[in-house]
Amino acid sequence: MVTSAAQRCVEPEDWGAVVGRDLRRSRLIVALLLVITFTLITVDYRTGESSGGARGVVHSVVGGVESGVTAVVRPIGRTASSLFHPNRYHDRADELAKQNADLRRQLADDGEITRQATELSSLRLLADKGQYTIVPAKVIAIGDVSGTDWTVTVNAGRADGLATDKIVINAKGLVGTVVSLSEHTAVVRLFCDPRSRIGARLEGTQLLGSVAGGSGPGTLVFTLYDASYRVRPGERLVTFGSLDYVAGVPIGEVTKVTDADGLSRTAEVKPYVSVGTLDLVGIVVGKPPTDPGDRVLTPRTPPAGGGDTSG
Amino acid sequence: MTVQLFEPDREGEVHPLTFALLALALLAAAIAQVSVVARLPLPGGHPDLVLLLLATAALLEGPVTGALLGFVVGLFGDLMSTHVLGRSALVCCLLGYLVGLLADATERSVAIALIVVSGAVAGGTLANVAVAGLISDVAAGTPAQALLRAVVAALYAALLTPFLFPAMAAGVRRTRRARGGRRP
Repeated sequence: MVTSAAQRCVEPEDWGAVVGRDLRRSRLIVALLLVITFTLITVDYRTGESSGGARGVVHSVVGGVESGVTAVVRPIGRTASSLFHPNRYHDRADELAKQNADLRRQLADDGEITRQATELSSLRLLADKGQYTIVPAKVIAIGDVSGTDWTVTVNAGRADGLATDKIVINAKGLVGTVVSLSEHTAVVRLFCDPRSRIGARLEGTQLLGSVAGGSGPGTLVFTLYDASYRVRPGERLVTFGSLDYVAGVPIGEVTKVTDADGLSRTAEVKPYVSVGTLDLVGIVVGKPPTDPGDRVLTPRTPPAGGGDTSG
Repeated sequence: MTVQLFEPDREGEVHPLTFALLALALLAAAIAQVSVVARLPLPGGHPDLVLLLLATAALLEGPVTGALLGFVVGLFGDLMSTHVLGRSALVCCLLGYLVGLLADATERSVAIALIVVSGAVAGGTLANVAVAGLISDVAAGTPAQALLRAVVAALYAALLTPFLFPAMAAGVRRTRRARGGRRP
């Protein structure tokens, strides 16, 4: 006690004063910043989600940068492996090695182009099965900075005819819904986001239910608002369809029935789309003239299913 | 083994040039995070560039710069996203301040920076999940998933810090020398 007091006396007074003043000032600045963040949270929470104002401007500008970054980074990434060849042309062997490297690079490019073409054609096939009008788009950003949002940004926007609440699909099925738009980009909320809730029905029935996210990227929770129907594992789900959402988009397969009592039934669903590998998606901008029913799902037994869809 | 990298900035004041450069680097990191890093097929998970750079910058420049940088990059991240404004700003601002407080306590050795930065990245990841859960009332995945993400992000931070910290320290020293004429 005494010694510490003595030590404090030894310290020069102005040093203590300087430290104290700095500490007070830095605390004041931090307190001010925290007050601003709390105000922002409160105000934004009350007004709800909007894509106007500053947020709209940032979305447009950052979207452009992200598109550019994706366009530049991708070719580098896929040809980086073929760049580790020596580039000396002193003799014929080296020249041949260079030619070899060039051809390899070309092959890698061709492979990438073939992969994209396959992906696009299978997306078209799914859209044609349901007679959906789609706008194809590429994923240019995944998630947000804090890593807590299950969203992707795509390189199509209001200029391409997109609107909020439209269903987004890929070649396998449901991806999510459009939540915000700028002129040339759109943010898609994935089905596994905790805030995502999409109307769904079981294959072969007309009973209303919904799938909700929030339990990780590989699991959806299906709630059927009808306790009389017995949900079984292996049954398949498609979107129910509403004013904004199109009907009949494949969602996934029931893996486990979690609650068989009470007023509703819940089940775990394994989605067809894996969100980790999203690349090419299609935004459904036009509805089919009639409900496509279950025909977008891949037929369970090819001969029987094929006969049904041809009619 | 402690290596004295440079004299810590005891006054805790904000230097405009250093601040502007660090802020630019952080904004670039925020864009790179969502459009490049998030889609790399890395084992386990992903490094968090924003938290990593922010923690390193705060460790070099002190609490006030750390808090201001965190606020700026957090707000930018919020504007880019679709969630409630101010959420990442809150977490990043606090993280910058708290890491900045340790700037004088540490010996400025890579070893201690490694521990502080990795811890800050893990803490920041968990804080993001916690604040998201508190505000939107829905959990973004299970606690186990969040914990795994935090551990992986911390491991990547530990791998990158030995390269990033000396590089950023050298960069900050250069900007200080550039404005050296004005200061005694």
